[in-house]
Parts: sequence; C-alpha cells; structure tokens
Amino acid sequence: MIEIKNKKGKQYWKSLNELADTPQFNTFLQEEFPGGTDELPSAISRKKFLSLMGASMALAGLAGCRRPVEKILPYVAAPENIIPGIPNYYATSIPFGVNALGVVVESHEGRPTKIEGNEKHSSSLGKADAFTQASILNLYDPDRAQIPALNGNESTWDAFSEDWAKLKEQYSQNKGKGLIVISNSFNSPSLLRTKKLFSKTFPKAQWIVYDAVNDENIYNGLHIATGKKYQPVYHFDKADVVLSLDADFMQLESNSVSNTIGFSSKRRVDNENDSMNRLYAVESSLSVTGSMADHRLRIQNSQIPSFIATLANELRKLGNNIISSSNLKGFGHYKENKQFLKVLAKDLTKAKGKSLIVAGRNQSAEIHALVFAINESLKNNNKTVSYYSTDEMVLSNKNNLFHAVSKMKNNEYSTCVILGANPVYDAVNLDFKNALTKVKHTIFLGSHADETAQAVNWHLPESHVLESWGDTRSFDGTYSIIQPLIAPLFDTKSMGEFVSILLGNDDTYHDFTKKTFKTFNASNSGSKWRKALHDGVLSGSSYKSKKTKLKASRLAQNLKTYSANFDEEAIEITLLPSNSTFDGSYSNNGWMMESSDPITKVTWENVAQISLSTAKKLGIANEEIITINNGINSISIPAWIMPGHADNSITLTMGYGRNMNGRIADSAGANILPIFSFSATSISNASITGTGTIVNIASTQDHHGMDLERLAKDAIQERLPDIVRESSLDDYQSNPDFAKQYAEKTIEKDGKLPSMWERHKYDTGYQWGMAIDLNVCNGCNACSIACQSENNIPVVGKEEVEKGREMSWIRIDRYFKGDDIDNPEIALQPVGCQHCEMAPCEAVCPVAATTHDDEGLNTMVYNRCIGTRYCANNCPYKVRRFNFHNYTKDMPEVVQMAQNPDVTVRFRGVMEKCTYCVQRIKKAEITAKNDNVELNDGDVIAACQQTCPSEAIVFGNINDPNSKVSKLKEQNKNYLLLGELNLGTRTSYLAKLRNPHPELNS
Amino acid sequence: MNIDCRYCHTGVEESNYASIPPTQTCMNCHKVVKNDSEKLAEVNKSWENNTPIEWVRIHKVPDYAYFNHSAHINVGVGCSSCHGRVDQMDVVYQVESLSMGWCLDCHRNPAPHLRPLDQVTDMNWLPNTHQIEIGAKLVKERDITPPEDCTGCHR
Repeated sequence: MIEIKNKKGKQYWKSLNELADTPQFNTFLQEEFPGGTDELPSAISRKKFLSLMGASMALAGLAGCRRPVEKILPYVAAPENIIPGIPNYYATSIPFGVNALGVVVESHEGRPTKIEGNEKHSSSLGKADAFTQASILNLYDPDRAQIPALNGNESTWDAFSEDWAKLKEQYSQNKGKGLIVISNSFNSPSLLRTKKLFSKTFPKAQWIVYDAVNDENIYNGLHIATGKKYQPVYHFDKADVVLSLDADFMQLESNSVSNTIGFSSKRRVDNENDSMNRLYAVESSLSVTGSMADHRLRIQNSQIPSFIATLANELRKLGNNIISSSNLKGFGHYKENKQFLKVLAKDLTKAKGKSLIVAGRNQSAEIHALVFAINESLKNNNKTVSYYSTDEMVLSNKNNLFHAVSKMKNNEYSTCVILGANPVYDAVNLDFKNALTKVKHTIFLGSHADETAQAVNWHLPESHVLESWGDTRSFDGTYSIIQPLIAPLFDTKSMGEFVSILLGNDDTYHDFTKKTFKTFNASNSGSKWRKALHDGVLSGSSYKSKKTKLKASRLAQNLKTYSANFDEEAIEITLLPSNSTFDGSYSNNGWMMESSDPITKVTWENVAQISLSTAKKLGIANEEIITINNGINSISIPAWIMPGHADNSITLTMGYGRNMNGRIADSAGANILPIFSFSATSISNASITGTGTIVNIASTQDHHGMDLERLAKDAIQERLPDIVRESSLDDYQSNPDFAKQYAEKTIEKDGKLPSMWERHKYDTGYQWGMAIDLNVCNGCNACSIACQSENNIPVVGKEEVEKGREMSWIRIDRYFKGDDIDNPEIALQPVGCQHCEMAPCEAVCPVAATTHDDEGLNTMVYNRCIGTRYCANNCPYKVRRFNFHNYTKDMPEVVQMAQNPDVTVRFRGVMEKCTYCVQRIKKAEITAKNDNVELNDGDVIAACQQTCPSEAIVFGNINDPNSKVSKLKEQNKNYLLLGELNLGTRTSYLAKLRNPHPELNS
Repeated sequence: MNIDCRYCHTGVEESNYASIPPTQTCMNCHKVVKNDSEKLAEVNKSWENNTPIEWVRIHKVPDYAYFNHSAHINVGVGCSSCHGRVDQMDVVYQVESLSMGWCLDCHRNPAPHLRPLDQVTDMNWLPNTHQIEIGAKLVKERDITPPEDCTGCHR
C-alpha cells in the first residue's frame, strides 16, 4: 500500500509513486534509462520481443557486403499521375459507427503511408484523432486474415461461392427463412441499398445490427422526449457553459474530433480581455474531457440520475420551465455538494441559449430524455445542439441480438452470416459461441482469425477501408465516397462486395456505389461524382437540422416510471471503451497498444481504475492483481490507483485479453467482458478480492522526469509551477503578466538572464519555432500517433517500456495538482525536443552527431551517432530517445509498407528525437525554391500540428512577425520551459488558464 | 542523337528522383527503330512479358542522404556535372565520387558549376572563360544558397 509522506500544500505531482517517494520513482528520476543497457531481452521473451517488432516496424536493405548490387525496377507502363518521389493525396472517408471522418491519405507510388483529416469534411475539418491516425497500421497488419478458410483449413472464394450457391437456392425458395445476418451499425447509402436488396431477395431473413459500444441510450432518450430518434450534433463553439455528465465528448464519445475543435475554439484565450468557456464535469472515472474541467465532481456513475434530477430542481427554482419534480422521484435525490449544484444551475441559467448539457452513452435513455428537456428549457436546443435525422442510419439495437441469440439456441436458424462484427468476443455474456453451435451453417466476414472466426465454418477475409469502395454519411448527413488507396493486399472483400456476392449481384462495388450516387444526383451525375471523389465530400449533401419538439406529457409518463438503482455502499463496476484499443478494433495495433493512456499513462494492458480510499477500504495495493466475481464469471486484472476516481467505483476498459491470432493483441491485458451483462455497462453486485500478487505495469508516467541537477524532491515541487504555468481567468485579467514572473525573474541580472555562451544570431531566412497552448491541449494522444506515423517511430514492446525505453518523440506529461489526492486538478503538457538555440546536447556530443542548422533546428545526424547517450544525459527536457535494440530488424515486409520514405529508419545504437518534421520543412523549401517563391505562413505544417483537433500546436517561421506562431509567442501568456536555463528554446508554451466560478472555491 | 535527358528522366525537374523510364518510354521509338537489335532484348522481353527491366543502379548515395534532383536542376546544375558524359558511355559508369566532401565542395562554392537554366541538359556544355562571372551572376539572380547544414540532406 502506498503511504503518502511529506504531504504538502498545493503541489504538483506526476504519480502516486512520486508523491510517496517510492524507490521506483527515484530510479526513473535518477537514471533516464534504468536497467542494463546492452542485455537482450531474455531468451523466451526475446522471441516474443522479436515477434512484436514484427507487427509494428525496417527498411529492406541489403546488409553485409560493402557495395551491394542494387537493382532499380521501373514500371513497364507508367500509371497516370504518379511521379516517383512525389506523393499523391486522395480523399476518402473512414466510417466510425454511424459517423464518418473525412480524411486525406498520402500515397507514395501507390502505397498509402499517412492519414490526415479532410478540411472540407464537417466531422473532421482537417483534423484527426489517434484512432484514425493509427488505422493505417491496421491496413498493414501482418496478422490479417489473408485467404478464405473453411473450418480452419485454407480454402478459396470459389469454394465458398459454390457452397453458398446451394444455400442460396434453398433460401430463395423459402424466402430466407432460417437465415440471419449480424452486422455492426453503419451509415452508408450503398450499404443501406444492399441491405434493402437483401431483404427483397430474402424477405423472411433477419438482419441484426449491434455495436458493443453504441449510442442507443442517446437515441432512445430522444425518442422518449420527442417521439423520434434524432442524432444530436453539439456546437461547443457556441457554448459558454458546458456540463458533461459522464460524457467524454472530447475522446471516447462519438464525433469527438468535431467536439474538440468546437470546444477548444471557445477555450482559446488570446489576451486578458478575452473570454473563455467553463466546463463542469460530473463523472466516475477521470476522463480526457474531465481533465479539462474547471469544476469536476467525482461521483459514482449510478449517482448521476439523482444528480441530474436535483439539478433540474435547482434550475426550476431559478424559473426554468422544467418537468415537475414529482415525475423525477425515481431518479433519487442527490444530497451532497449543494453549493456546486446551486452555482451550476445559476451558471447554466445565466448562459441560457449558450449553455449545453451533454450526457454520456453509458447513461440511461431516461437521463438523456431529461437532459434534452433541460436543454430545451435552457433554450439550448437548436442553438448549442442540433438534431439530425437518423432515417438513413442503420442503428445498433442490442435487444435484437439478445432475442436472436435465444432463437439461435432454439435451433430456429439454419444459417448465420456475421459481417465484420465479433460477437463471440463482445457478446460473450450472451454465450454467443454456444448459440452458434446450434446453427448449421456459419459464415463470417472478418479481418482477423479472431474469436468469432474460430467459432464458424466459413471465415472470409475482410478488406480494410483503404482497400475498398463505398460511401458514408456523417452525423449531419455529409456524404463522402470511400475510394481505395490500394488494391487489396490479400485475397479479401469488403462488406459491400461480400453482400453483393451473397446476392449474386454482378456489379463491381465501385459501379454499385456509383449507381447509388446516381439515385440522389440525377443530373450531371458523372461530373458530380468526380468532384465528390476529388473533394472527399459531396457539396450540399449535409441535411438541414430538424426542429425538435419536446413532448412533455410523453416525457413525464416515461420518467415517472423510471427508477434509478443506487446503493451508496455497493461498489459499482463500470465498463468503458479503451483510449488505446477502443472496443477491440485496435487491439492488434502496435502504435495504439504502446501509446500511453492519456489518463492512466498505462501501456500494453488494461487495468482496474480505483480510488485510493476505495483501494484502502478493500485492502488492495496498487498493481495488485484483483479478482472480480459476479457470481457466475470471474476475471483477474491489476488494480491501478487513480487520483480523481470516484470512491466505491471501479472502471474497466474493453478491447484487451484478445484471442485473435494477433501478435500484439493476444499478449495484452485481460478480457473483462464476461462479468458484465450484455445490456448493461455497469454492475454493482460483484465481489472484489485482492490476490496479493503484485505485477509490473508498463506505465510511462514517471519516465523522462525533468530533474534539474538532481534536486531534492522539495525543490522539484517548488519548480513544478515553473514548468506548468497556470492561472485563473480572473487572476489573468488582474495580472496579465503572471506567466513571466517565475524562476527566470529571480536570477535575471540587469533584466537579462546569464548565459553560458555567447549567443549565435539567427536573424535571417526562415527560423522555425513552435508554440503549444496548454489551455486547449487535452492530452488526447493524436499528436503522438501522428508523429509515430510520420517519423517511422518503432514500437518496442512492454518489457522495453517498463525500462523507460518507449520511443515516442512527443510525450504528454500529466501532472496532478493540489493537496486532495482523491480529487486533484490535472495539467497536461506535451513535450518534444525544444530545439534550444544553445542546446546542451550539442555541446557534449563527441562526434558532432547533433548540431544546429542555420534555421534554428537542433538536428540529429543518425549516421554520425555512435550512441554515447551523453546528449540524452545532458538534455534538461529528457526528450531524446535511444535505440537500445534494432527495433525494426524483423519487421515483416507488409509492415514496412507503412514507413514514410522521406524519413530515415534508425538503427540500433542511434539517438533520435523530434526534428520539427524536417522532411516536411525541406520539401516545402525545395518546392518554393524551384518555383522561385518565398514560403508563406502555413506552407510548412508539422505532423503533430496538422492533426491536433484542439489546434494547440502551432508551428512556423518566427522570423516573420506576421506568422501565426510569432503572434502567439508575443502573447503575455507565452513562456519557455525551464526558461531560467536561458537555452533559447524554439518551442514555447502558452500558460494554462482555468475558469472557476467565483462562488466555488477550488 | 541529341535526345534530351528529360525525354526519359521525366521526374527530374519536380522530384527527388530523376526517375528511371518505364519500358513504355523505350518502346515509343523502339517499337519501330532497331526493334530486332540484340541490345534491346531485355527491353523487348520486358514489354512482352509485362515485367520490369532490372536496371543495375550505378549512382547511389546512402539511404540516409536525401538527394533531390529537382533542387539542382532548377538552379542550373547540369546533368553532366555529376553524371559525366553519359551520352558518350557505352555502359554507364560513375564519374564523380558522390562523397559528402564532393557535394560540399560545390555547396560551398557553387559559382564554377552553374549554367543558364536552358543548358542544364546540354551534354556538350563546358565552362567558358567567363564562368566565374557568369556563375556569380546566376548565384545572385536566383539567390542560390546551397545548404551546408546536415538537414540539407539528412532527415
């Protein structure tokens, strides 16, 4: 059990280990890379290590001889529009449930390498999240199913077609009786058309749609309130006061990219006269969104009904016309935090029409109905939130699967076709696997030989979205064409193609999609198609939002009968998708698996998040394996004590403990789904016991700590406020220069900081610099994955991460603040190379492998580096990463295709770090020079900057006073990290602001 | 024959790579010109079988050096300055060392090696007696400041 010593006043701390001053933390502080440097991973684990590498990274080189003969293989007939060496960019769309993110994909000689958001697409606006960035690696996953299999044996599509022809004949005669299809939800005009054709061909067949992670409660809630299922789209850019009820709208909820863009636009503050939004978060587990909150209340999930009902009462007291309290009796009454509720109600009312309440998908339909009613009374509906038609969406309905499974068990189906879904894994609580055994013919289209594939007769391999034709609509109806970036790497078919095969449709899916397009573009279809294909969106295709109407009596009737289950003493266990693997779709993705969770900072596995108080109460230690038993099933998972987590509550994440023949996925984490019931995302009747076994969790939170001169801990505490500078909006207004009044002030002489060397002048040409706005950064990890994809950063495996050897060029430091260990404030800070003009790393390199260029870049010359690691040792920011092993050596050929050809793949024994995307800078400079023009602001965009949905990262020429980055650096909130060292860092930070309500302290 | 280098090496003005021509380009002429020549056996084989010709690479810099053809062609560094008189070679061979020192010699003092843009692909071009002045003028006109920093080539 962690004992907290030296508890002091408001202080910053990165982890409980630091706060408790444990030996582990000191090891990481004093040795940047603890553990032996040259021992290879142990024999057994070495094998595992190598196979991991295989899934995630090596440039094919002919090593060995001095002057190998290299062959050049040109095209026989050159394809149109390809100039070797110059990438092409194609717009396409990546579906995510019933939403889609428009993207632009970079393709090198026909090989897609990098995904970016599409500026013209309404859900993306040029930005992308970590999942979208990482989906390129899913395409090159060597563990993908490559050929059809029958009962586990290799087979062919022809054999399947023959088999299906017999079945088809039978079902054509009986109109599809006994035939069931199970798929995930979708929002695609062409897939909808195939579904309709399917129903026409087999009218008695059933098509069941479900998602493990779904928004059913939201739609059902709106159905209760308005009589119709609508798709809400939030406009955070219009909301001054936001209340999130267990809604991680900037990360795990739907449409998170668009939400983040909107939220950060209201969060950004340019000067002391600017205003900013205020976020209240009420949640059980600390979320990305919660970490941004000005006021955060940690309560059990099951207390949210009583909280919202009590808030409704407070709002009514202020004259808002809200459903009467007699109808909300079943919600319970929330008795604590009266002041919080009062102030919140006042704030929401004051911002009428400019406030917004958002509830998370785990909350019941009744909560969503009530939230709609409150938004209605606050006049927010159709202002800060719009509602769109769901008519074309094929929505998840878990209930249907539930009924279908019981019918399956009753032998009512003779053929089951599963399209892309993985019910054996995520409907484990329905005992789906067993139900399948009662079906004679089972057919599965899926990308991996996963849990479901292992339980069926026919496993047909599924194409990746970047290999397919198709179409999508996003939440607001924006239509996009999915176009393939590459022909299928393996013998695979997309869902659309597959259903066409089942129906005997002769059209290619490209033609089919085009015909669908014609149905709503009768005139000029051809030119419109080409334009939509080029732009990635069909202009004018978004819907008009629907004017919703609250049906008060219907609402009252429904809410009256609702009864919330709340038992204060019972420990609730809540299920969430994972920030790394989501629902399991990214389980075999090395980038995502190794990305440290934005909140827990854990990599390579899932953990049971629990508050310190509750862990104490249960006698559970941090990193101790606990077993959770619901009376039927039992799971084992390490506990992770999480400051900010609600008491009497445990949060588990799905997407781990896979059995999918994936070299990354199968070794990672625990499958926690068996203890949940199929329809609920929370249970409260389980027994929780510690096992006494403590395990190592690969968490990066204590790695790369900035320990100046190995100062004592107390001194670090004094300096941390220097590192993450923050203030409140009110204090900023009265003291606009707060960010300038830190350590450097105290050591200035004659208004200047002392310097070790005479400064080199960088005042001509392009001078590159970056500004990172801590006020809008929510730590979502998109920058980190974008960097990994752009810069060929290897995946190193859990064992290496435990030693602090993760290679990520941008780490996101997470600091807790405050003396309340159970409920601290959070500050996040992305840290990459700061590109010091007087770089300490350069002075100590014995071989000049790291030097400065005339544009102010701190460069890293891999071919000179001999691996002394002196530079990393001397870097005050701890941003240098060392290749302890040849992490890319055994990378399968197919994974090599994900590599960016513009960036060197590093070898063992070489140091690397953020280059400010020098390949992008040089490309832009050469192109401009070839055209004999100057670069404009915005011509060079770093990968992290390009994807950041918060637009927290701005990069550009600081020698141009009118560039965006120069303007940011002129702000009074601008400060340099460890500025007192006077290193002339090119990256600067804009101090964080919080916007607490004056009537609520802390 | 006086075929311009760019007839085959089409990417040279825009891309890192000059690009090796597709067989198709050879066949533009050789479908009719000396089609039965033994020297064209590989080309014909490629065209008939739809398989790429396996050219042996002669000019190479290491993987960690990102040489860019377009950056040189567009400022007046001629093909023959690095590749020699390819037009007079029976079999292409390497004329210059292509070492980093050799690159830097020119990057530090480009004037002696620059020519007017319209003569970049001229194989017969030789510096004339006024090269130093002409070169200096070209440097000024096009603001030629070749990078001497590592990032110029290493990324």
